[in-house]
Amino acid sequence: MSGYLLRRLLGLVPVLLAAATLVWLLLFALPGDPARLIAGSRAVDPEILREVRAEWGLDEPAPAQYARYIARLLRGDLGISYAQGRPVAAILGDYALPTLTLGLAALLLAAVVGIGLGTLAAWFRGRAIDLGVLLLALVGASTPVFWLGLILILTFASWLRWLPVTGYGFDGVVLPFVGARLPEWRHLVLPALTLALVLAGALARVTRAALLDVAGAESLVAARARGLSRPGVFLRHALRRALPPVVTVLGLQLASLFGGAVATEFVFAWPGLGKALVRAIALRDLPLVEGCVLVLTAAYVFASLLVDLSLPLLDPRVGEGTALQ
Amino acid sequence: MRRTFRVSGSLRTSSVRRVLLAAALLALPALLAACGSRSGGESGPGKASAAPAPAAAPQVFRFRLREEPPTVDPAQMTDNLSEAIIMNVFRGLVAMDPATLAVVPAVASSWTVSPDHLTYTFRLRDGVVFHNSRAIEAKDVVWSFERLLKKETHSPRRWLLEPVAGALEFAEGKAATVAGLTAPDPRTVVLRLEHPFAPFLGMLTMGGASIVPREVYEDPEKKYLRAPVGCGPFKVVRWQPASLIEMAAFDKYYDGRPALDLVQVRIMENQVTAFQEYRTGGLDSLDEVPDDLPPEVQSEVLRYPLLGIGYIGLNLDRAPFKGNVALRQAINYAVDKDYLWTRLMPGANVPGRGLIPPGIPGYDPELPGYPHDEAKARSLLARAGYPAGRGLPPIALWFNTSGDNRRIAEQVQADLRKIGVNLTLREVDWGAYLKAVEGTADTPGEAQMFRFGWALDYPDADAVLRPLLHSKNIGPAGNYFRYRNPAFDDLVDRALVIGEPAARADLYRKAERLAVMEDAPMLFLNYYGSMTLFKPYVRGVTPTPLGEFRIPLERLRLDKPAS
Repeated sequence: MSGYLLRRLLGLVPVLLAAATLVWLLLFALPGDPARLIAGSRAVDPEILREVRAEWGLDEPAPAQYARYIARLLRGDLGISYAQGRPVAAILGDYALPTLTLGLAALLLAAVVGIGLGTLAAWFRGRAIDLGVLLLALVGASTPVFWLGLILILTFASWLRWLPVTGYGFDGVVLPFVGARLPEWRHLVLPALTLALVLAGALARVTRAALLDVAGAESLVAARARGLSRPGVFLRHALRRALPPVVTVLGLQLASLFGGAVATEFVFAWPGLGKALVRAIALRDLPLVEGCVLVLTAAYVFASLLVDLSLPLLDPRVGEGTALQ
Repeated sequence: MRRTFRVSGSLRTSSVRRVLLAAALLALPALLAACGSRSGGESGPGKASAAPAPAAAPQVFRFRLREEPPTVDPAQMTDNLSEAIIMNVFRGLVAMDPATLAVVPAVASSWTVSPDHLTYTFRLRDGVVFHNSRAIEAKDVVWSFERLLKKETHSPRRWLLEPVAGALEFAEGKAATVAGLTAPDPRTVVLRLEHPFAPFLGMLTMGGASIVPREVYEDPEKKYLRAPVGCGPFKVVRWQPASLIEMAAFDKYYDGRPALDLVQVRIMENQVTAFQEYRTGGLDSLDEVPDDLPPEVQSEVLRYPLLGIGYIGLNLDRAPFKGNVALRQAINYAVDKDYLWTRLMPGANVPGRGLIPPGIPGYDPELPGYPHDEAKARSLLARAGYPAGRGLPPIALWFNTSGDNRRIAEQVQADLRKIGVNLTLREVDWGAYLKAVEGTADTPGEAQMFRFGWALDYPDADAVLRPLLHSKNIGPAGNYFRYRNPAFDDLVDRALVIGEPAARADLYRKAERLAVMEDAPMLFLNYYGSMTLFKPYVRGVTPTPLGEFRIPLERLRLDKPAS
């Protein structure tokens, strides 16, 4: 197992390098002169533009700039933001926790709601409840996050006044050692719900399908024959066997989670990576864009690894050999 | 070109500001302001003890910024979001009264100007302290000004102090001190200029000329970028990245502790959710007013003029405008500015007649401008050599991507079609737009017509006439029209060196009439205005042409019913 883990972790390196190269190429090809951004209102003076290019290495040929960029990354240095003049790592540190909390909360909520509804649908297969869940899942999966967020705000914040409209909350718990502040739960509810509802639809459908798939299995029939009640079989045996595909889909959904986080953070003024990324793109703040993309890529790859590692725990038949194939 | 500051030279302006402007002058509306109240009149540091009874609920004013301010270092400030924090945290030798735009004492309690208009002697106020409680002395002023000028600072606002004798030599490392900047004693600062320069005192009121404590601003780690220290009415007490900036009243503020105890600046991009936040009581003020404002909120809108103008530039070095005044005037008469700003896009902007916006010396209420007159437009078009537009190929009107720009461009297109002038619209992103418009000092840009706006850096007619139309500024420095008129240059140059305000204003009025009525280098569209929402319980709001973020928070007070 530890050898497998090591190989998977080493496998992260080429993936991240490829991501770094791709984002660099994309940004390099963008029109617009970063020197002008850095120089700001001094940009009308060609002499100052020359100085700025020299200072930031923007006057070098593209291969040299690329080599310097990769060398810097390998040293663990994400560079300095053009727009803010602060190290990218420090800026990412500011934004990482809000996105992490939002993502985890949404994932948890999506898992509970999605698996719960999927189980319900499978249990009442073919009845009105089943149909209702399937319809709900379809609506959930096809609703734009942006719109859903606004509707939730209008309903629960503006109309019912149960929850705050936007923000992170100013008085959340400060994490010891890290020094970063957690969101207040009242502020977390609506953005997490927005993001979760979109994921939950897909999860509900997969859960339902997987449960129905295993329902006819011989082992379940045998369990019933041993005298276990139907709910007992369902929850103890069927659900457990249905979980691996559900967890796999959950892993695959992480990408849409990140995508959704960008829109959610924008709507709810959530101070996270998505918001930072959008603003960095608008400002052509290339080092910050690169940093955000790398962190998100790393998070995605790492989460996929966790999913893979969890599968053998959920279903002993998925051994390490199986996972490697 | 070299950055020099000569009386007749180019005065550069902030491209960041231009970006904000062209990108959406209309989006200028901004944040807003706050609450609080001023305990009235003058007061010394001792006034803090006259604070409200302890039983009163704390006065917390909440407003919104659409993005985190790009900087809170006064030396780097060029945009209005940064101003929202900096102008409350810092003070310079002098300040500008936001309502009257008069220069008023700040860190300096008084000043004298020598008869030759070259030497400014400032007497520092007693008892002014930084937020770290250290008293301000003349050497702090010298250090702050040298910091602004120093090459390593890379300040986009260095030009504020470039009129000072020896400033450029110092900035370029050729001199160890600034010859014209001295502190003969701890309470006196003397500034000697190279040439008389009338707007100088007004420029010292800008954020870039703030006084900063050396012990904080020498930090190589630049901690001051999250924890600024000045001597203004509010001090930054908390900064949650991309979420909240909190400013608390400074007890020892030289002009008396503000009535507001706390100001919360909330950062939210999305205009729709920001408005919901305002409606549900999460904000006391909002800078962006939605188009479809619910009727019950109408009474909370504050409308006021801004120091800025909107126009469509005409490229005088390209056909068909080159050498054809009649055509330029015909276009001006053909466009219905009243319809544009009262019917199509009602809001705070008002139809424009010229270059100098209302509120500053030199504004000419008598200037006729070009009221909508289709018949006159047709006859001028014929005189221009294109009767009913015959023989005139379509003209390209460029603008950068924005809904408002498109609406304006389409309306202008429709108005001009009525007299037979056809426009093609070129909507491009900001980078491509600037490239097509700016040109260089020697070659004109590609754009024949371009939609643009201009906000004045400081409230002086020079800040609009010189950057836009002086022949020394042709090209990226601001004169994209490539307007050359020696008589205009002469009027503007003369106005810069005379001290008598009425005589200066008169010269500016003459220069404006010359450019507007005789040369028409642009289609004059509007004077800018702003709209800001304030809850009815916010008292002491002072609207100011300096912009929504300059509404002085230290004058606000909340009169909330007890909840």
